[in-house]
Amino acid sequence: MKKIVSLITAIFFTAVLSACGKKTSENLTKPDGQLDKCTLRFSWWGGDDRHKATLEAIKLWNTIHPEIKIIPEYGGWDGWTEKVTSQISGGTEPDIMQINYDWLVTLSPDGSGFYDLNELDSQLDLSCFDKDVLSFGEINGRLNAVTVSVTGRGLFYNSAVYDRLGAEFPTTWDELIALGDTFRQEGLYPLDLDIQSGGTAWYLAIVYVQQLTGKNFISMDGELGFTADDICMALDFYKEMESSGVIRNIQTRTDEDGNTALYQSPEFIGGKVAGVLEWGSSVGKYEAVLPDGTLKAGPFLTSDGENSSGWMIKPSMLYAVSKNTKYPDEAAAFMDFLLNNEDCARILGTSRGIPASHSAEKSLEQNGLLTGLAHESDSMLEQLDTVTVSPYMELPQMKDFYNTAIEKVSYDLCDTETAAEEMYDSVTKYLDKVK
Amino acid sequence: MKKRQYTNPTGVSKYTGLLLISPFIAGFLLFTLYPFICSFVLGMTNSRTVGETEFIGFENYRTMFRSGSFRRALEVTLKYAAILVPLKLIVSLLTAVLLNLEIRGIGFFRTAFYIPSILGSNLAVVIMWQYLFTAKGLINQFLEFLGASPVSWYGDPDAALYIIVLLRLWEFGSTMIIFLAALRDIPRELYDAAKVDGCGSIRSFFSITLPQIKGVIFINLILQTISALQEFNAPYMITGGGPLKSTYTVGMLIYDEMFKYGEIGYANAVSWILFAVITLAVSVMYLVTGRMERDKT
Repeated sequence: MKKIVSLITAIFFTAVLSACGKKTSENLTKPDGQLDKCTLRFSWWGGDDRHKATLEAIKLWNTIHPEIKIIPEYGGWDGWTEKVTSQISGGTEPDIMQINYDWLVTLSPDGSGFYDLNELDSQLDLSCFDKDVLSFGEINGRLNAVTVSVTGRGLFYNSAVYDRLGAEFPTTWDELIALGDTFRQEGLYPLDLDIQSGGTAWYLAIVYVQQLTGKNFISMDGELGFTADDICMALDFYKEMESSGVIRNIQTRTDEDGNTALYQSPEFIGGKVAGVLEWGSSVGKYEAVLPDGTLKAGPFLTSDGENSSGWMIKPSMLYAVSKNTKYPDEAAAFMDFLLNNEDCARILGTSRGIPASHSAEKSLEQNGLLTGLAHESDSMLEQLDTVTVSPYMELPQMKDFYNTAIEKVSYDLCDTETAAEEMYDSVTKYLDKVK
Repeated sequence: MKKRQYTNPTGVSKYTGLLLISPFIAGFLLFTLYPFICSFVLGMTNSRTVGETEFIGFENYRTMFRSGSFRRALEVTLKYAAILVPLKLIVSLLTAVLLNLEIRGIGFFRTAFYIPSILGSNLAVVIMWQYLFTAKGLINQFLEFLGASPVSWYGDPDAALYIIVLLRLWEFGSTMIIFLAALRDIPRELYDAAKVDGCGSIRSFFSITLPQIKGVIFINLILQTISALQEFNAPYMITGGGPLKSTYTVGMLIYDEMFKYGEIGYANAVSWILFAVITLAVSVMYLVTGRMERDKT
């Protein structure tokens, strides 16, 4: 009996100690150029408009390729990173994934985290993409992901509220600050900035500093371009927006909305908060909760009416194929359908922004679908001297540093100099660790 | 029809007992002991979501004790447990005493009081809590009706923790049911005899009820303390840990480190410290109550 117990114990502990670590061996399924009968999982995040359009596109795929069944997995952005990260850690991720730009840094720092799409060119047509657009998804010469659309954050306003107050959409930073007074008299706010998952408060503040100083906050290879003084300038500008009544302070915002996303909050839907800073590719969810045509794209702010630099663009999202997929050809074919198929493009419209694929963009243009807020905002961005967002800027830990500083300044727990010094130290140390 | 023959099960084989309990043993080894040991091993590594894993000894623990965010999360968790557990025990016990009364329709009230505890902290409850506690929520409307100043529930770092406490307090049904079962086991004769001796209700409560259910009070104390120290759902869904991390518990820290920042090794190390804190708290409770028993004898 003792021998049996000892044997079981020995086997158990050997299994534990050898299995606790992650799997390091890679068993890539090589492409064979054939489309076999199979079932694939495809995951994405987004709002209702994107969900509806994508489910329709999958229906179309099923009529073309009934032998390749697609199982959709979708939800809102909040908590989505955590979900996919845990799936990837456990090797249970979907075959095709809509991924965020910064995931390339966290999930595939050496380019081996996702399938190399260069190997799948028999099914995936990459000729519809510009080289620089494709380069967003390249790491160490491996094409980990393909950019769905390139977007930037733009300002969108509730035109009904602005019209009622006789206010014009601001064109300069000074005009934005001046709007605070006009709106305050009515108990309203011309804009909303948050420290939730979007982190728009810090985003707008660094656009302001980038425009004034000509510096980039973080370079593409993860070098911090701002000094502590630059960070302090950004925090001062944020504080000025609060004190002039342009935005709600953090306490008022939290009291009114709780933990609810802005587009679901009564303050935004009811018009108390009449503006939002949002990616062109995601503005649909804000548009959907207001009467048709109410939300309108506003001009990108400048310091003097001329200097329009500092605004940022990035791949709004990318498609990647899991390195663990058993069906790389089929996954690539489905990805090609999503990116390049003209009928699919017509169904998806601008639910993921203006497509980066020329084929899809042409289809939208021919069908008169290249309209709407995403298009307006992106067209305006094209006229500007934009900066590409560094993937390091959007890392969750970095967002935590920004939000901590903004929160401390908003609650008057410390002055902007102290908050800037703390953020500078935290950001510098963290970038050194992850680069 | 032939009558079925039964043999003495102990005579079949000396391994039959082991065979019968093997499903439980297998489940325990696979789903409890295995992850438990894995977690400890991972806590001694620098494991991240991607990349090579190296053994780094107690480095994660050293980092943790130097970390301001860990200390802050631990403070919040201990404060939360210290406020919630006594409150919940008192409210549950008093409600159980009321529901132990033999009056018409008491079954309805027992069910009604139990319902909140099966709701948990799901999305519907989160929305309801927002209707109650946001700036223009029902609670503040009621306070204004009474002439009191509205409270900044979500935005004030000192008040936000109480939103979570109130949610968990509202879900006192399970604790109350355990108290109620214990109360119904107390012999009626004790109360009758006390009444004959001129003992009032309050004296009966302290001299008969409490001593008779002290074992159950202890069990509820242990269960609620463990549950409070592990709190994650409610702050995650209702406040997101804010404002100013005033509702950011150790459970949320583990979640963020593991799934948001991909620091698997560090997250496992924090889990082990949380386990140690819970073990310490329960041990202290056992020691204190054991000493009380000895003092009594």
